[in-house]
Amino acid sequence: MRTITFAIDRFDGSRSWTQSFAFDHVPGMTVLACLIRIRETQDPSLNFTASCRSAICGACAVRVNGNAVLACDTMLDDLLEEWGQDTLRIAPLGNFTVISDLVVNWDEKIERLRLARPGLHARAEFSASGGCRQSPRDFQAIQKQWDCILCGACASECNKLADSRADFLEPFTFTHASRYARDSRSADSMLHVNGMLDNGLWKCVHCMECATKCPKHIQPVEDIASMRGMATAGGRTDGPGPRHAQAFRTDLENTGRLNEVKLVPRTEGLLSAATRRLPFTLRMFARGKLGVGEAIHLFFADNRPVEGIDGLRKIIRQRRRDH
Amino acid sequence: MTRKYAFFPGCVLDAAAREARDATQAVAARLGIELVEIPGWTCCGASHVQDIDRETALAANARNLALAERMGLDVLTACSTCALMLRTARAELKNGRKSAVNEALAEAGLEYRGTADVTHLLWVLADTAAEWAPKVRKPLSGVRVAPFYGCHTVRPPEIMTHESHLNPRSMETVIAACGAQPVTIPERLKCCGFHAVFPAESTAHNMTASAADSARKEGADCLLTPCPLCHMQLDMYQPDARATTGKGGDTPVLHLAQLVGLAVGVERERLGLSRHIVSPAPLLSKC
Ligand code: SF4
Ligand code: SF4
Ligand code: FES
Repeated sequence: MRTITFAIDRFDGSRSWTQSFAFDHVPGMTVLACLIRIRETQDPSLNFTASCRSAICGACAVRVNGNAVLACDTMLDDLLEEWGQDTLRIAPLGNFTVISDLVVNWDEKIERLRLARPGLHARAEFSASGGCRQSPRDFQAIQKQWDCILCGACASECNKLADSRADFLEPFTFTHASRYARDSRSADSMLHVNGMLDNGLWKCVHCMECATKCPKHIQPVEDIASMRGMATAGGRTDGPGPRHAQAFRTDLENTGRLNEVKLVPRTEGLLSAATRRLPFTLRMFARGKLGVGEAIHLFFADNRPVEGIDGLRKIIRQRRRDH
Repeated sequence: MTRKYAFFPGCVLDAAAREARDATQAVAARLGIELVEIPGWTCCGASHVQDIDRETALAANARNLALAERMGLDVLTACSTCALMLRTARAELKNGRKSAVNEALAEAGLEYRGTADVTHLLWVLADTAAEWAPKVRKPLSGVRVAPFYGCHTVRPPEIMTHESHLNPRSMETVIAACGAQPVTIPERLKCCGFHAVFPAESTAHNMTASAADSARKEGADCLLTPCPLCHMQLDMYQPDARATTGKGGDTPVLHLAQLVGLAVGVERERLGLSRHIVSPAPLLSKC
């Protein structure tokens, strides 16, 4: 009989340890079914949360070999095949405070979720008696974001959050802000975007973990992108993030290619480029990453426009007209 | 067997990471991979244009793909972010955007049909390792290499479909084919920080220092990356990362094509190894 081992991270409020539980392989079990079986047959003190067993309540997310999954929606056999081994490491979600074993603290996350101002602040034309209707097309634009079950999987391996929670938010919070900001019934989109701007909207490192881990195929990173676009379109263009993005767009339109010499002054200002970034620039010259003459040329002139630049400009103009 | 691709260098291979372009072209020539540069290719948007002007980014990448289609070839890039942006555009065009974008392309006499696939140098090298391994002239035995995949090489898996995003092996396959020894570090599948180096500088420095430090601690001679953006972050910013964190500072970072180039006997001058901020000299003395 094939034996499967779960090496589970335990925590009793003060002590942490890893405990291995071996059990017979039975095809067709979910990770949650395995955890339940361990609790029922080996150790009733093993603590984890789950309710619906149908990928709906969001309570059962855990990490398997360092990667978040919904325990009730993940087949053990798929994991065994993926990892090619019969021992799996089970741990609580990353970037959460652990309460006990696989149980994490949601209170602090929900407090932070309030920064998104979740809830519909409807436009004046809507009322309690007249209702708050929306066309199917407008609902479709935010339908995916409404699938969020607040399971926390997107936050577990978020690389930015792992570095610091103080200047960034859980990816699902950006998704919640975005679904109200982009709701055709919302009175003021920026009501939801502003809190995100003040809490790291431009600090996402684009690691794509949130989009990879969401069991509902939501892409919080895309919600971040769409709110960056809304903020920029609404005139919130200050700061290194928006200026950096704008520099790329300017180059794409002007010559088709990035002017890396102008990128730093455009992003951080000329003063910072000439002072704070000076050691960096000198290093680049010293190691031949950048030629001095080439740098002077790129700074005062630009890249030569790409072959077919007129066509590119026509294409961009047409897309703008169409939008 | 000769393979032929429409080559999409991307902005960085044309500028700060020119050595990666030289190494890519030299290795491709040595291995019988023909790279024909796409005439008039433009910036892929690097995720930044996508943030503030999705339509412009999509149209520019549709144009890039249409230009490659005109050559009748699949696209090859040696940059993971370019690969992700081009493949994402492809997916968007397939999922309903094609006719609207084609109206714009028509103004430049172009049409996107969806015939050209987009592949990565890493994938081609890994898939053909058994074919080119016999061409290894100087097996890099004794060289310990820590692969740093880079986020966009494997994520999101719906777009970067080549291999498992949880347990990829392509980098290890290439390293082993070069006769070198792969060394696993905890940052193997983590972010280098490049895409937020300006707005989240301390985070980027921490990420860079941590990868460099782990590689050193695990006894690796270098980090290896298939993405020139990861390379810029891990190499060019390593001194700054050291200054703010006290970690890292002397871990060389090689482009994928440079390692393969060393193994298959491409002349060192053609690999641009002197253009790195962190000198790879100690590593080269082992090759
Ligand atoms: S893409 Fe951004 S939000 Fe998503 S996991 Fe990475 S850093 Fe976090
Ligand atoms: S966005 Fe997806 S992964 Fe994140 S909490 Fe919602 S359902 Fe879970
Ligand atoms: S138990 Fe409800 S989502 Fe898994």
